[in-house]
Amino acid sequence: MQLKNIHKRFGQVHANNNISVTFHPGRVIGILGENGAGKSTLMKIIAGYQPADSGEIWLDGRPVNYHDPRDAISHGIGMLQQDPLDIGAFSVLENFVYGQSGGILLNRKTSRQQLIALCQQFNFELDPDTPVSQLSIAQRQQLEIIRLLGLGVKVLILDEPTTGISAAQKEQLFNTLKRLAKEQNMTILLVSHKLEDVLALCDEVIVLRAGQLVGDMQMPTTKAALVELMFGAQIQPVKRESRLQPNTPIVLDMQQVHLHDGRLDIPQINFSLRAGEVIGLAGLDGSGQALFMRACAGLIKPHAGRVFVKGQDLTGQSYHQFNRSGVIFAASGRLEEGLIADMTLTEHIALMYEQNTWINWRRAHQFTQRQIERFNVRGKPDDPIQALSGGNQQRVLMGLLPENATALILEQPTRGLDVDSARWIWDQLLTKNSAIIYSSADLDEIMTYSDRIIVFYAGRMKVIDDPHQVTVSDLGHYIGGDFS
Amino acid sequence: MRNKLLFFMAIIMTLLALIPVAAQDDEEFIFGMVLVGPRDDRGWSQAHYEGGLYVEERIPGARMLYFESLNPSDTPETTLMDVVSLFVDEGAQVIFTTSDAFEEDTNAVAREFPDVVFINVSGDDVLVGTAPPNLGNVMAQIEIPRLIAGCAAALTTQTGKIGYLGPLINAETRRVSSSAYLGARYCYENYAGGNAEDLEFKVVWIGFWFPIPGVTLDATEQSNAFFDDGFDVVMSGIDTAEMVIVAGQRQQEGENVYAIPYNSLEGCNQAPEACLGVPYYNWGVAYKSIIEEVQAGTWESRWDWVAPDYEDMNNLETSITGFALGEGLSEENAALLQEFIDELVAYQMENQDSFFLWQGPLNLQDGTILAEEGETVSLEDIWYLPQLLEGMQGDSE
Amino acid sequence: MRERLIRLGFTSGALILALGVTALLISMFDHSPIDVLETAWDGAFKDGRRFSAVVNFWIPLTLASIGLVVTFTAGLWNIGIEGQMIIGAVCASWAGLYFEAPSVILIPTCILLGAIGGMLWGMLAGLLKLRFGVHEIFGGVALNFIAANIAIYFISGPWQPPEGGSAQSTPPFQAAATLPRISDDLQFNLLFLLITIGAIIAIGLLLMFTRWGLTLRAVGKNAQSALLLGVRTERVTLSAFMVCGALGGIAGAHRVLQAYSSLRPSPAGGIGFLALLVVLLISFRAWWVPFIAFALAAIIAGSTRVKTLLQLDQSLAGVLQGLIVLTILIFNGLADRLTRKDHHE
Repeated sequence: MQLKNIHKRFGQVHANNNISVTFHPGRVIGILGENGAGKSTLMKIIAGYQPADSGEIWLDGRPVNYHDPRDAISHGIGMLQQDPLDIGAFSVLENFVYGQSGGILLNRKTSRQQLIALCQQFNFELDPDTPVSQLSIAQRQQLEIIRLLGLGVKVLILDEPTTGISAAQKEQLFNTLKRLAKEQNMTILLVSHKLEDVLALCDEVIVLRAGQLVGDMQMPTTKAALVELMFGAQIQPVKRESRLQPNTPIVLDMQQVHLHDGRLDIPQINFSLRAGEVIGLAGLDGSGQALFMRACAGLIKPHAGRVFVKGQDLTGQSYHQFNRSGVIFAASGRLEEGLIADMTLTEHIALMYEQNTWINWRRAHQFTQRQIERFNVRGKPDDPIQALSGGNQQRVLMGLLPENATALILEQPTRGLDVDSARWIWDQLLTKNSAIIYSSADLDEIMTYSDRIIVFYAGRMKVIDDPHQVTVSDLGHYIGGDFS
Repeated sequence: MRNKLLFFMAIIMTLLALIPVAAQDDEEFIFGMVLVGPRDDRGWSQAHYEGGLYVEERIPGARMLYFESLNPSDTPETTLMDVVSLFVDEGAQVIFTTSDAFEEDTNAVAREFPDVVFINVSGDDVLVGTAPPNLGNVMAQIEIPRLIAGCAAALTTQTGKIGYLGPLINAETRRVSSSAYLGARYCYENYAGGNAEDLEFKVVWIGFWFPIPGVTLDATEQSNAFFDDGFDVVMSGIDTAEMVIVAGQRQQEGENVYAIPYNSLEGCNQAPEACLGVPYYNWGVAYKSIIEEVQAGTWESRWDWVAPDYEDMNNLETSITGFALGEGLSEENAALLQEFIDELVAYQMENQDSFFLWQGPLNLQDGTILAEEGETVSLEDIWYLPQLLEGMQGDSE
Repeated sequence: MRERLIRLGFTSGALILALGVTALLISMFDHSPIDVLETAWDGAFKDGRRFSAVVNFWIPLTLASIGLVVTFTAGLWNIGIEGQMIIGAVCASWAGLYFEAPSVILIPTCILLGAIGGMLWGMLAGLLKLRFGVHEIFGGVALNFIAANIAIYFISGPWQPPEGGSAQSTPPFQAAATLPRISDDLQFNLLFLLITIGAIIAIGLLLMFTRWGLTLRAVGKNAQSALLLGVRTERVTLSAFMVCGALGGIAGAHRVLQAYSSLRPSPAGGIGFLALLVVLLISFRAWWVPFIAFALAAIIAGSTRVKTLLQLDQSLAGVLQGLIVLTILIFNGLADRLTRKDHHE
């Protein structure tokens, strides 16, 4: 596959600037770059989700032209989304069949055999009749991979495939990808921020910066070399000193709290958060962190027990009451919970800060401009929020957090950000002097920033009072449910 | 290509055909007809529409403008005022508003157009004294054919149970259903050899003049319910004739059931063999004389409760209302019914100010005395009948 | 700017297409489309009286539509607008029948009571949604039904005319409740006209320049995000229902005061549902409401005349409306596709 002089503009932003590159079959190729460098845009062009403004895509020595993802798949190019796009109510088999020619009924039997064969080939444990909504993220990825294989894809694109899956699942995924490249002579394109992943998996790496292709590199290489290529300079690892003073007051207190939702049950939480304390939550997706954080913010009501904020009993009160007591929640699904698609940056700022009856749009606009500069957001005050890249959306979300909050409850605040952006976000967060409860899939991040760590496994909690006493591999054990 | 040509030619021909229609007749006399239901409802509205056609046929130059289905369900966005002002713009000089539902609006609109004569059918504004001088009321004495219909039902019933499907409850519907009951009671005892106390006469009100899905009861369903409960004759007091169809279907399944529709001579058409006859209106007679009066300049506002022509109730040239025999009535019963009609006509010839059988002793449903033994109920008391009569089942309000 | 032009072009294209198809239908029924158009046009604009009829239909339609702009902005399908109009009509009717006062006091009282009645009825739909999780579409349908029955109860019960009810109407309102007309030619009420124009401007400005308007939009686009951004979503939802209900109630008051001078079994006359259509057509943009509402009012007035004079069925207007809605929705979709290419993703 060859890309020739690909250009793509979004308004003023030149997302892809004259990109020409050749991808060879049988190789795993990493696509690196900081947020907004144009990686996702390029992948979407290749996969047919959006057209390039100019430039050509050549396959097997011929220029090809396609208009949508289906078309791209028929040319042998398939993309795994950051959040796999599947239809929740359908079964695994139905999803697998979806998009194949010939209709659902005709192919059912052969499809089932094909599905089982593919699962065996790659050691995937997928029951054809399970509804997709019951699958884990990793399983959905597996389904999506074999679905695309079933459609005869020769070029497989993966955008941040390791977000939200466990270490073991990651290993399995990587083995699969390697086998696909070596045994089936496929081209695998991997978009990732995680340098470890790229180092572990890829045969070669190309690096984008500000829309341009700035370099490529054959493996093996070092992390430092990659970082240099990405940022032009090496990043120093962050070492944070605990700011926590002894005897600071308790700002959030949970007594005998019992949390419960459809799948999880967390009995008996006794927990207190001190002013300025930073607590990291680790664990696999769906182990109870989300439930716990929402209970801290009053977004779900506890089954039993009491919740105090700054000594005041707020059990069962609305989020608004928690908010007024200085508890602020930011969810990981940025456009689902947190930002409002179709509204501009200025409107978001106005929503947060313009509390008078009549909105002073001029003032809001100016303030937005200042926040954009301060938080280094690539976007303009009148841009609709969904026009920003994921990383920039995250920066906006951070920019919306008030300065003087008592406690910030942040779900995966650096999800999908590169190392530099993540560090910058943390710098901003820590200057606020608020107590922070956050979750993260990145154990280095948990180790670096937390005063205390809570590991969740299937609704059970293990509190680690002194992070210096544990190693990353200890954490890994806990996350796997081995609490001893 | 040829098809296209043909198509365009057809359009041009149509346009040409329309031109003579548009030419104005100098002698034209335009009158308006506002209908509450569709003009082909085989009931009340159709009877009025046919009355208009009757006038068009018999008065040279008369032309009818009509508006059908003016009611809150079918045409919620249109008011009587809208329709009338359209008619007046076109030059209408007399406008018939043919429902009790238009009574209040007709009064208001008539004041707006003092040069146009308005006739509200079945209203009583003139009687009450609230009508402006250009508004008159007309109603036919349908009570007479109703007495006959009740008799036909009583002669035919084997189970002694007669169902009556009424519209909404007001003085008009009370007096009309009560007349049917009086006819049925009299014939059951005097001609069918039964005992008046054994006769069951049940009224079910559907809620409006004609069935509206989701708003009123379903007429077909109610007819079936009657027959299921052992009623073998169902009479209609509503504008439409579902009960005839239902009875026809049930006859084909071997049941011995009958129906008596209401309003239009065509009421029996859908299942003649199941139809005992129909009390019908022949509005054209009244409409024609009103228009002739207006043309001659002699019309004056009045409340008209027009009697049938007792010489021949079914003479379409002279009688505003009558009872047409149906195929379902046996010959033997037809003969008995004729005896009853003779008796009735003989009484009416002598007494213009009362109705046959509306004599004491008569009680209202709650036991209040309407007329003592030997006393006659006056026409005005019948017009404003406050309850159903004692012996009838069903709600009085 | 380019986007606006595209939208305008597509909307007019849709209208022309709808008219074309209707013309074709008309010729299939052996009528000349030109005749029909001319008849319809006269039906809406021939003289002061015709035009007044259009305006008198436009006033409640616009009030209800502008109310629905508020609820739609908040992401709510306020099907209950019809019931809110009916309750407004019932409340206004009480004053019209029994509250003895001179015109200057009586008429504003009718309007005020209508607004309050509609507002409370709207609030009920909101409470059903917020407290009991009843979706506003189901709650609205149920409340419409109840409202219609309340009207019928009053007409056939406590408020029936002294000479006995026929379940058709209450007695006429007091003479003081008769709406003054601007002139013999312009037979509509100045106060209602001003209220309607005022409502358009006020809602338009409120939506654009106040925090309330901003929070409505935020809740409409993403209630969960809005909650996390500090919006009291429940309050906003309730306020949207109440404002819409109040405007619907005023529309209901206009119906009984203007069209009937008495309370009728279905005083809202389907105008609420028509207003839903208006708001769908304009994709909730307040400034367009008066124009689209006026076009619909004119089409309806015109088609009444067509029905009467050419004996073409009045459902022709329904067909035309349906066609307009369909084509505009389709063309809007096309315009979306065209303009979206200018945006990211």
